[in-house]
Amino acid sequence: MSNLLSVENLTMQFGGLTAIDNLSFDAKNNEITSIIGPNGAGKTTVFNCLTGFYKPTNGQMFLHKNEGKISLRKYTDFKIAHVAKVARTFQNIRLFPAMSVLENLLVAQHNELMVASGYSLFGLLNLKSYRDKEQLAVDKARYWLDIIGLTNRADDNAGDLPYGDQRKLEIVRAMCIEPKLLCLDEPAAGLNPKESAELNKLLKFIKTEKKTGILLIEHDMSVVMGISDHVVVLNYGKKIFEGTADQTKTSKEVIEAYLGVDE
Amino acid sequence: MEKKDIIQSVKDSLFTGVIALALFGPIVGLRTASKGEGLFITPQWGIVFILVGLCILGRFLINLNSARKTEFTFFSKFTSKLSSVTEEKAKHLAITAILFAVVFPFLPFTDRYFMDVAIMILTYIMLGWGLNIVVGLAGLLDLGYVAFYAVGAYSYALIATTFGWSFWICLPLAGVFAAFFGILLGFPVLRLRGDYLAIVTLGFGEIIRIVLINWYEVTNGPDGITGIPRPSFFGLPFKRSPDEGEASFHTFFNLEYSTMHRIIFLYYLILILALITNYFTLKIRKLPVGRAWEALREDEIACKSLGVNPTNTKLTAFAIGAMFGGFAGSFFATRQAFISPESFTFIESAIIVAIVVLGGMGSQTGVVLASIFLIGITEMFRDLEQYRMIAFGGAMVLIMVFKPKGILANRKPTILMHGDKK
Amino acid sequence: MEYFIQQLVNGITLGSIYGLIAIGYTMVYGIIGMINFAHGDIFMIGAFVALISFIIFGLTGVALPVILLLVLLIAMLFTACYGWTVEKLAYKPLRGSFRLAPLISALGMSIVLQNYVQVAQGARVKPMQPLISGGLEFFKNSEFVVTVSYLQIFIVVLTVILMGIFTYLITKTDLGRAQRACEQDRTMTALLGINVDRTISITFIIGSSLASVAGMMFVLYYGVIDFYIGFLAGIKAFTAAVLGGIGSLPGAMLGGLLIGLIETFWAGYVSLEYKDVAAFSVLIVVLIFFPTGFLGKPDIEKV
Repeated sequence: MSNLLSVENLTMQFGGLTAIDNLSFDAKNNEITSIIGPNGAGKTTVFNCLTGFYKPTNGQMFLHKNEGKISLRKYTDFKIAHVAKVARTFQNIRLFPAMSVLENLLVAQHNELMVASGYSLFGLLNLKSYRDKEQLAVDKARYWLDIIGLTNRADDNAGDLPYGDQRKLEIVRAMCIEPKLLCLDEPAAGLNPKESAELNKLLKFIKTEKKTGILLIEHDMSVVMGISDHVVVLNYGKKIFEGTADQTKTSKEVIEAYLGVDE
Repeated sequence: MEKKDIIQSVKDSLFTGVIALALFGPIVGLRTASKGEGLFITPQWGIVFILVGLCILGRFLINLNSARKTEFTFFSKFTSKLSSVTEEKAKHLAITAILFAVVFPFLPFTDRYFMDVAIMILTYIMLGWGLNIVVGLAGLLDLGYVAFYAVGAYSYALIATTFGWSFWICLPLAGVFAAFFGILLGFPVLRLRGDYLAIVTLGFGEIIRIVLINWYEVTNGPDGITGIPRPSFFGLPFKRSPDEGEASFHTFFNLEYSTMHRIIFLYYLILILALITNYFTLKIRKLPVGRAWEALREDEIACKSLGVNPTNTKLTAFAIGAMFGGFAGSFFATRQAFISPESFTFIESAIIVAIVVLGGMGSQTGVVLASIFLIGITEMFRDLEQYRMIAFGGAMVLIMVFKPKGILANRKPTILMHGDKK
Repeated sequence: MEYFIQQLVNGITLGSIYGLIAIGYTMVYGIIGMINFAHGDIFMIGAFVALISFIIFGLTGVALPVILLLVLLIAMLFTACYGWTVEKLAYKPLRGSFRLAPLISALGMSIVLQNYVQVAQGARVKPMQPLISGGLEFFKNSEFVVTVSYLQIFIVVLTVILMGIFTYLITKTDLGRAQRACEQDRTMTALLGINVDRTISITFIIGSSLASVAGMMFVLYYGVIDFYIGFLAGIKAFTAAVLGGIGSLPGAMLGGLLIGLIETFWAGYVSLEYKDVAAFSVLIVVLIFFPTGFLGKPDIEKV
């Protein structure tokens, strides 16, 4: 399998504190790569560097596309999603709570719709070309809502959904930008076992059917071990282990990082 | 209620009284007035005692039946009822209101004074609708909106007096100028956090005003610009005696000359301008850019993660809001025929913000109701101008405390997947 | 050169006044993260209370230092009541409301206070006879004589004393510790058994008292006030707080001095008409390019 993402010597410092220390790893196409580690290991900071919210102190991050590799450092802010096609979700869900489920999914298709609406001009004139494009966007939203079983709640406010559904909605909203790489920040946090299982199914679907690479931060080991193809273990900002899920389970370094050293 | 509670609440009320005495004692009780050389003090203890008494009584009553809760439920029930009524019958209400607005000038009781008040209310409705795009939809608190109103008014006045172009050319130009100023200001500041943005826009509004006062060569300073051309009815002026060989409105239509003609024309002008603003807002809200405004209001970080460019999106909201402010400004200039910096103070911005906030941010109907209430009803009590502003400010605080989303705040989705089944 | 020194002296005096107001902004911002828009009007009320007390004591013929001390205490006491009440009525119920709610509420409160004073005291400007006159003169031989009035000395000395007391209060006492704890994490502070509501109230009381001292100085220095002075002074002091780094107490004082100096030098060398534009421009430039100010902490966006 070819590489999708290469992180090379990534370092992030806040003042004197080194949150990520010279981290390198690869994530492959059509694979789920999990980043695990104890609290404060620097997992979310890695995400924030990848998705343009922080500017790393040092190091490179490359995304491999058909046209060649592009450096994520060059893109900041909204361009990561818009140009580089890296999507993400957040540890504490960030939906648009007062907007409907459908509207949430349409905002994710904002850039295409803006062009289709002629930067609002065609839209104001109510041209057919725009209305058709809008219908396509709604169809795409319906496609995803069917998958997560929320079609009948499409017109309700996103903030009124149960917690588990909000998590799933946030993931499919990210999928609506048609990303190359999907970064999920603790998607299973707060889910019950049944919801966790559904999440696993959804992620596997995204991986196999949508051919989208997934980078996952997770504490829930049933999720990590159940679906990861590759695991990267961080502690104090350093990579201490890298391998398959089974190798990780038996790794001495990993057990020490989580349980401490027996002396 | 037990005896202990009563004693407790009496104590509490007396404490309130002490505080009230400290508050009102010096400021209300000891009124300063100039007499000859220097200031003297006129005591007004009567008013102080009434105020303190009211505070004690009010506090006691609140404690007694913990009225706060019941009042609050009553209040929120009432407003949600109002919201649902206005929502259910939205179409009917809107049509009735527009019809009423159209026939208003010809109703038997409508006189010059009513017309003036109505024109003023409509101007504020238009400003409120314009600002609603910025504050209500995009969630950007703009405390300097009056700056764009001023830019519109001054550019209209300057273009019209310098080049003598007609209203219909100057109006769009004024709007374009105001939008340009909106972009000019917005570009650097829209990155700022919400509260900083509010202060910066306030600063910008004041800078514009100070420049208007001091830039004599162009703005004629505090004296303002006079002799701004009145609008004409498609080329027909509203003059009693038109120039030789020229028709005026009343001669052309064979009517008795009346100053009301011009007033009625102005009334319809602002009505149309306001309705255009409303139509435009309702339309654009359903377009991608409108949804992106609301999404930015909800969560800017999530927007960035979805590839929405926050700066550009906010900038469009700012520019469009400014443009409507500019239109309203040119209307103001042509109606008054005279403008000066005094009309564009911070308090004007605060009133427009109050209209949007009280109506319920993002609610178009709310703006109408708040304008009628705040401008119309208080206009009837002109003499009580200062009390009016106290009531304005007080209402803003109360709304934030009890119903922070505004009185009418039922948001309808901009697009439905399942059609209107309710 | 002499002119420059004169402007420097004037700027420092003005800066002391702004600095005292700025402390109120910075403390409130530090503890509950809101811009207390009504703070400028609290300052205005302080000025009115001071003016009224000066008139009353002026009739009794007590010695000047006694009058100054009494007026200082009275202004602080009564103005603190206003600060306390405003917080209880308009801000406390809003904790946890949406982002802009406290700011809108504060704006409403500011409108209420301004118009309330206008109704109660009249809209006309209130002049007062100068109480402290005379001063020291320097460079008597040059063509421009630099005057440092006793009043200016009084203002600067009083500011320094208050700042000393205040710094002690914040850094060395339990109250100060509770306050700094609230700034860090309000929920945790409450869990540790500290009365957060009371700590916030005290913050408002301290801020308002210092603003009232600034109000008293304003009355003495300019000799004329009206109900509208709080608006401009408030914005300038807010600018000072941001310039120094909002949330930082020494920053507020430093920012106040800088704003005072910028304003006087601008008025002295550039343009008197546009002196308020200077303050507003500084505000805008600082907020855009330099939002952490000189002594503020950077505000890392939490994702």
